[in-house]
Amino acid sequence: MAAEKLDVKQGTLALMILKTLEVLGPLHGYGVARRIEETSKDRLTLNYGTLYPALLKLEQEGFIAAEWRPSENNRRAKFYSLTAAGRKQLAREARDWHRTADLIAAFLAPKRETP
Amino acid sequence: MKELRILLARIAGLFTGHRADPDLQDELQSHLDMETAEYIRRGMDPAEARRKALMASGGMAQAAEAVRDQRGLPAVESMVADVRYAFRTLRHSPAFTAVVALTLALGIGANTAIFSVVRGVLLKPLPHQEGHRLVYLRHSTDGPAGENIRFSVPEVRDFRTGAASFGGVAEFSPWTLTLESRDGAVRLSAGLVTGNYFEVMGLGPILGRVTNASDDGPGAAPVAVLTHDGWMKRFGGDSGIVGRRVRFDGRPVTVIGVLQPAPFFPRQVEALFNMVVSSHHMSSLMVEGRTHRMTEMVARLAPGATLERAMSEVATVSARIQKEYAAAYDAGSNHRIAVIPFHEVMGERARLTLWLLMGAAAFVMIISAANVANLTLMRGVRRRHELVVRAALGAGVARLRRLLLAENLLLAFLGAMLGVLMAMGGVKLLTSLAARYSPRAAEIRLDGVVLSFTMALSAAIALLLSFLATLPREGGFAAWIAAGANRMSGGLSKQRLQRGLVVLQIGVSVVLLAGAGLLTRTMLRLSEVETGLDTEQVLTMQVTLLTPTEILSNPAADAGAKARYAQMRDEIAAVPGVIGVGIGSPMPLRSSEVRFEVKAEGKALAAGEAVPRAEVRTANPDFFRAAGIPLLQGRPFADTDVPGGVRVVIVNQAFAARLFPNEDPIGRRIAWTGDVLRFTPISGDWRTIVGVAGNTQDAGLDAAPRPAVFMPFAQELALGGGFVIRADSNVAALTAGATRIVRRIAPATPIENVFTVAQLKEQSVSPRRLNAALISSFGLLAVLVAAVGIAGVLAFSVSARTGEIGIRMSLGAGSGRVQRMILKEGGVLLAIGLALGIVGAFFGAQVIRGLLFGVTPNDPATFIGVAVVMGTVGTVACWIPALRAARIDPAVTMRS
Repeated sequence: MAAEKLDVKQGTLALMILKTLEVLGPLHGYGVARRIEETSKDRLTLNYGTLYPALLKLEQEGFIAAEWRPSENNRRAKFYSLTAAGRKQLAREARDWHRTADLIAAFLAPKRETP
Repeated sequence: MKELRILLARIAGLFTGHRADPDLQDELQSHLDMETAEYIRRGMDPAEARRKALMASGGMAQAAEAVRDQRGLPAVESMVADVRYAFRTLRHSPAFTAVVALTLALGIGANTAIFSVVRGVLLKPLPHQEGHRLVYLRHSTDGPAGENIRFSVPEVRDFRTGAASFGGVAEFSPWTLTLESRDGAVRLSAGLVTGNYFEVMGLGPILGRVTNASDDGPGAAPVAVLTHDGWMKRFGGDSGIVGRRVRFDGRPVTVIGVLQPAPFFPRQVEALFNMVVSSHHMSSLMVEGRTHRMTEMVARLAPGATLERAMSEVATVSARIQKEYAAAYDAGSNHRIAVIPFHEVMGERARLTLWLLMGAAAFVMIISAANVANLTLMRGVRRRHELVVRAALGAGVARLRRLLLAENLLLAFLGAMLGVLMAMGGVKLLTSLAARYSPRAAEIRLDGVVLSFTMALSAAIALLLSFLATLPREGGFAAWIAAGANRMSGGLSKQRLQRGLVVLQIGVSVVLLAGAGLLTRTMLRLSEVETGLDTEQVLTMQVTLLTPTEILSNPAADAGAKARYAQMRDEIAAVPGVIGVGIGSPMPLRSSEVRFEVKAEGKALAAGEAVPRAEVRTANPDFFRAAGIPLLQGRPFADTDVPGGVRVVIVNQAFAARLFPNEDPIGRRIAWTGDVLRFTPISGDWRTIVGVAGNTQDAGLDAAPRPAVFMPFAQELALGGGFVIRADSNVAALTAGATRIVRRIAPATPIENVFTVAQLKEQSVSPRRLNAALISSFGLLAVLVAAVGIAGVLAFSVSARTGEIGIRMSLGAGSGRVQRMILKEGGVLLAIGLALGIVGAFFGAQVIRGLLFGVTPNDPATFIGVAVVMGTVGTVACWIPALRAARIDPAVTMRS
């Protein structure tokens, strides 16, 4: 456990979930969690109490839809997929996030000495 | 939009929440299974894989709870659950629930009942249209009976034209008329008003119409507007009354309408008439006599006008007319005019009493709430174990707080329900008290506003109680668990809070007790006041054979009336048991409406000295003996004091002291004086003083006696009349017989104010008694609750310190020593509470100074008595837990 564990913020988590579903297509909660943990190189761990309320919130907002179907190894699982509204929301959030990140990066960049 | 969609989804979740649960369980389970499978695939053995997956999940139950929070409206859901749970908890501790609910009910009930009175009498907006713009004008002078001398018609005219701030000025002249009906005659309390009166007052009819400008002047037809009260009481609410002609004072008057229910000032009336109903009010005396003051003045502020501006305009006009008509405003009397908002004047006599009661009720509330708070705190300590378990099962601090709130809300509302039931009974009693002080007593009601007040009060108490309970900071439960939930001492800070509450209870109880003591002594002092009559076996009844209007328009009727008075007197005197009957007017122990200026022969007024005024009274030769009024000097009237003879008078002691200080008044001559005499049948001739009578408490037991002059009944027109009947015993039993005699001789004559001296006295004392009784019961209640409070806190302290006491005893402390230790603990609280209470009572007593009679606000006897009572009760309360502490068996405690 060399890497430092990070807390995940609600808004950020929503963005990660949307992006995961866009990249991998319809996926169950376990798949989403695995993908996020892997992408973060295990710096993030998601317990159920964080993940499932976030999924439910996105569903309530209409950005994702849920459906029970058999999984790859023939277990039943609840699959989440991106809706059209979700796709739009993802684009919007990603754009906002880039802007914010650029701004923060500019702020935190080492200052040049001014004469 | 997004928020709305979430809200809708959540509301839907509120109903489907429980059905959706298996779905969630399945989903979480499938996640767990997949994760476990993954670990197995990586080579772990199944048991280890499952353990690892479970750990990573962060708790299935917690996750389900978190999702549920997102799904429904968690606040509503958990509130319902909390209330359900609170119900169960409270059902399991019925004793606690009953004590708390009852304690709160006492406080809430008292506050609800008294608030309903305060609101009805003082706070509620007047039923009059734009009632806040109504003002009442009061004309006062220095000296006895000068508080309200009313206005004359010329004066009203001056203000009407001179004060631009008034949008309308109306006249209201209190008057009494005889209403003739089939069941005999009754005297009706009425008002004669100008046509604009209703418009100015902002009152409308519920039937027919009200008067207007066309009803003014000598040519108008006599009309009556019944008040709601009068309509119900005298005409049984007959809806066909409008247009009927009813005989008032012997002449037909058309009833034109019935007024909406409304309070009147200065007294309730049953009907309002236009001025033409009374020929007196049409006379030049009334219309032109500047000093003939028998009109009340009400005005409505014009739009945009302020009270301040109206006051300054009134002052200007007043100064001008006092200069212009100097003869009508004797400089020594300090004529002044107050402009008072109508809603204030309505409650002015009730205000102090009601706020006192409200304050006392608030104190009772504080004490009860403090007691309940202490009970809750103690229970909270005992419940620590339960709270710790709940926290371990995943309840956050906020959730626990909500749970406590639900419980306390339930308790408070239970208390409120009981309290409102108590208030329903109390309001009736309080309304009868308020009716003596304010015409608005009829408006007292337990209505929505009052009930909202009750609910708000209960909710406030519940909130307070919930936030008193100490819960650890989020995550701090571990410390509690580590400390062991069975340690019950509750920490020093909480004990400090409990002790503080006990000190508060004792202090507040002392203040209440002191108030109760002062008011009780006031009441006792008042009932000890001598009426001035040397016996209580006297019955008085006023019998008006001729109204002033009748006799003024037909003086020849006087002789016939007097003959009938004499006949009644003779027949009453013949009733067995009667030992004396006197004739006169007004009756003893009732103040006279008629007061004239008076002068003494050979005595000039000093510069700036107010012209003396005296009540005008009449009496026949037997009057003083029958009434039991002692003649201090001179002789009673004689049968020889007849019309045409020498004019003689008997004055009372107050009069003699005012006009002839340190002189012998017998044989001196006095005369009525002033402009007013021109218009009355009473002459300004010199009259010789033949006797001095003792003072009687005509204006009430607590009022200073006023100067009075008695004229021989036979020498003056019978402007009023009545009988004082003295019996050897049980005078009240004579009432029926005497009334029958009067009825037979004068069937159409109303009989009023039939009272025994004891009843008249009671009228003065009873409001004070009720007042004292209320405050005293609050005081006793407070002491009792405070005693329970201090005993409870000490008992709790003892039970928390059982171990410590056991150790002390096994180390050699005797039981006496332990007892002293606990007593000292309580004694300190008691002493601090007493000291604070006495200081508080000292200030409180200054506030109620105006309600006291015969005792000073810092009456030492009362204060000492209060300290002794509170000290004794407090000590007894401390003794019980102290005894329990002394009985602790060290062997038993050490073993546990």
